[in-house]
Amino acid sequence: MGESVPGAVGRSLGSMSAVIETRDLQKRFGRVRALDGLDLSVPAGEVHGFLGPNGAGKSTTIRVLLGLYRASGGTATVFGGNPWTDAVALHRRIAYVPGDVSLWPNLSGGEAIDLLGRLRGADPAANRDRRRHLLEVFELDPTKKGRAYSKGNRQKVAFVAALATAADLYILDEPTSGLDPLMEAVFRREIRAAVSDGATELLSSHILSEVEHLCDRVSIIRAGKTVETGTLADLRHLTGTEIAFASTGLTDADLAGWPSASRLPAIWSARTGRWPLPPTTTPCPRCCRCSRSCGCRA
Amino acid sequence: MSTLGPLLRLRRDRLQVPVWIASFGALAFFSGVAVAGNFGALAEREALVRIAVLTPTILMFRGAPQGAAVDALVFFLTFATIALMAAFMSAFLAVRHSRAEEASGRAELVGATPAGRLIPLVATMVHGVGTALAAGAAVALGLLAAGFEAAGSTLFGLAVAGTSVVFLGVGLVCAQIMRTSRGANGLASALIGVAYVLRAAGDAGGAPSADGLRITSAWPSRLSPIGWGQQTQAYTTNNPTPLLLDLAFAALLLGVALVLQAVRDLDSSLIAERPGREHARRTLRGSFGLAWRLQYPAILGWSIAGLFLGVVAGTLGETVVDLVRGNAAFEGILAGMAGGDRGSIIDVFTAALFGLIGILAAAAAMQAMIRMRQEEADGSAELLLSAPLNRVRWLLDYILLGGLALTLVLATAVVGAVLGLAQTTAAQAGDRIRSVAESGLAQVPAALLILLAGALFFAYLPRASIGIGWALLLVAVLIGQFGDLLDLPDWLQALSPFSHTPVVVGTGADWSEGWWMVGIALCLGAAAVIGVRRRDLAL
Repeated sequence: MGESVPGAVGRSLGSMSAVIETRDLQKRFGRVRALDGLDLSVPAGEVHGFLGPNGAGKSTTIRVLLGLYRASGGTATVFGGNPWTDAVALHRRIAYVPGDVSLWPNLSGGEAIDLLGRLRGADPAANRDRRRHLLEVFELDPTKKGRAYSKGNRQKVAFVAALATAADLYILDEPTSGLDPLMEAVFRREIRAAVSDGATELLSSHILSEVEHLCDRVSIIRAGKTVETGTLADLRHLTGTEIAFASTGLTDADLAGWPSASRLPAIWSARTGRWPLPPTTTPCPRCCRCSRSCGCRA
Repeated sequence: MSTLGPLLRLRRDRLQVPVWIASFGALAFFSGVAVAGNFGALAEREALVRIAVLTPTILMFRGAPQGAAVDALVFFLTFATIALMAAFMSAFLAVRHSRAEEASGRAELVGATPAGRLIPLVATMVHGVGTALAAGAAVALGLLAAGFEAAGSTLFGLAVAGTSVVFLGVGLVCAQIMRTSRGANGLASALIGVAYVLRAAGDAGGAPSADGLRITSAWPSRLSPIGWGQQTQAYTTNNPTPLLLDLAFAALLLGVALVLQAVRDLDSSLIAERPGREHARRTLRGSFGLAWRLQYPAILGWSIAGLFLGVVAGTLGETVVDLVRGNAAFEGILAGMAGGDRGSIIDVFTAALFGLIGILAAAAAMQAMIRMRQEEADGSAELLLSAPLNRVRWLLDYILLGGLALTLVLATAVVGAVLGLAQTTAAQAGDRIRSVAESGLAQVPAALLILLAGALFFAYLPRASIGIGWALLLVAVLIGQFGDLLDLPDWLQALSPFSHTPVVVGTGADWSEGWWMVGIALCLGAAAVIGVRRRDLAL
């Protein structure tokens, strides 16, 4: 967090053109309003988190951005183009990993990776090393048939296919939902490496911590509408934060020398406990002994 | 066992099974009425039966005749077809409620409840046996309604139910053997094919009686569950003992399925899966390469069937002409098989067989279209269409695949027919080959129309298109093949593309209706392209 924010500001100021831009995006399925005024703006080079509960419309938005669904209202542009009419040209620059990856049951994982690479115009010989590296770090057996993979392994097949060929925009729909924590770390490392040379990334998730680790800015959607956009620091006011405090090892004299301790009467007596921050203050994530914005005036 | 009730309710097939059962009843009823109406005179029926007894191909597709009584004739003409359909119904039902449930993961959910491992399988068996009995009852009721006697009609129904239960068992054992529902359905279908071919061979090679009105089937028929049903000789000897074979064999198969289910792990199978390739072949590129890769085993299967029918058309045409030459009554009946045109007997015979080959070609084409919808419904199309692949190109590739499928089926059939002709000492071989090739070509318009109608449904009614596609084909086949027999009104017969297939007789075929069909097909294709450009991905 603390490290990524300044960099993100610099990058997003550096390039003003938005890779993804939606204004008041609407999508209706019969009488159901899946998207109901969704605004999303992702500048070039940004890793953008797309947060929302299940059913909020994340996957629907992504499918509109990929031209798989046609918007019922509002506008959506990707690289300045219309995702519905310019789909083929745009897809040459996009790598996509669906939330629930379905592979061809009787094609092996390796065949699926090669097929998708060829569809994207990749030269298999040039990508051979990259492919081998990815298969190795994801510990994926490419000879298994599509139907024999678990959910996590199907997802890995889609990752390898997406990352084996360089893209300008990576769209990842709940990418770590089937991965164990070790693989999640591998995924984070590989995706960082992929976007390090200026690619843009849209990462949808319903898990804040996942977005926290990777994203420069976040859009939060609910019931098909954008409710908040900003850096995670900007959005801290939305979360109720508690700071755990243990006074073990401190003498009364130490504590007395800490002016803000007077604001913690309960802890003072118990010498250990939790301090719920009022929702309007922005905490300093590391400590409360600083004079900046966290309100502890140390 | 208290979980059996809820599981049985899960096994209901709200639409599929009632449609199957109703069509059995309707087929039995209408065939009964039509045969009684069309062949009222004993002399006509005797002529029909005698020509059948002399024509191995008719025996192959119908069975072993037992006299010229109206009810016996109905049993001869319809039993093998109804039993075949009932066998498919039961085998597919078995796989749908066993291996397919397991592959989808639903069996895992159910298996974790107190229902355990065996009760779900028992529920499928109860459901399947009930469905088989209902199918038999529908046939018996249809025949009773057509005015046939009770004992024979009941036995006819029981024979259908018996065949049905045997193939329920076959389907369940196949589901234990194969890892995927596609594989299990394929194996079960192949075994149904073997049973049908054994019966066909036994009946075609059977011994005719002195009066030329009966056939005593040869031994291969007695190895086939469909043959057992036929040996009941409903309405003539009314012999129920062959049904004991059905019962015993079905019990054995169900027992084997239960034992295998009890000892194996969830998601495992007797035949383990081979590992796939690490790298894709060069040919696996683009959506056509993928479509071909997914569909070629099925196209190969349809083509082998086409080759087989082609050989039959080539060899037996010559045999038939020797048998019936000079007999005006026979010639008239054979001419009737090809839609009423009179012409040289061989041409008529060839046209009738190529009509069946045309159905195979249309089915192969429709299956390619349906595969496209399956890709969309299963979700793999999402990966495909998020790559730089134009959705219109995707549709056209599948239409191309369907076109290729129907072409291959027809081409192998023509090759088979030419090989068959080479076996016989045909006079004017050059003319015969030309006529056979044109008969093959004549099947293209109807099959193309079916294919592009499938594309239209894919574009505008994607979620219903699989059911509509098969139903369309089935209705077209029933109208085209049985329209005359069932005395359907002309406008209804005109709805089936197969009714407009050019018939190659004498100097050549009238292609005007064929060209109309090609034109309509191209319009449907254009409409499908427009629809696919406009619609959302329908998961």
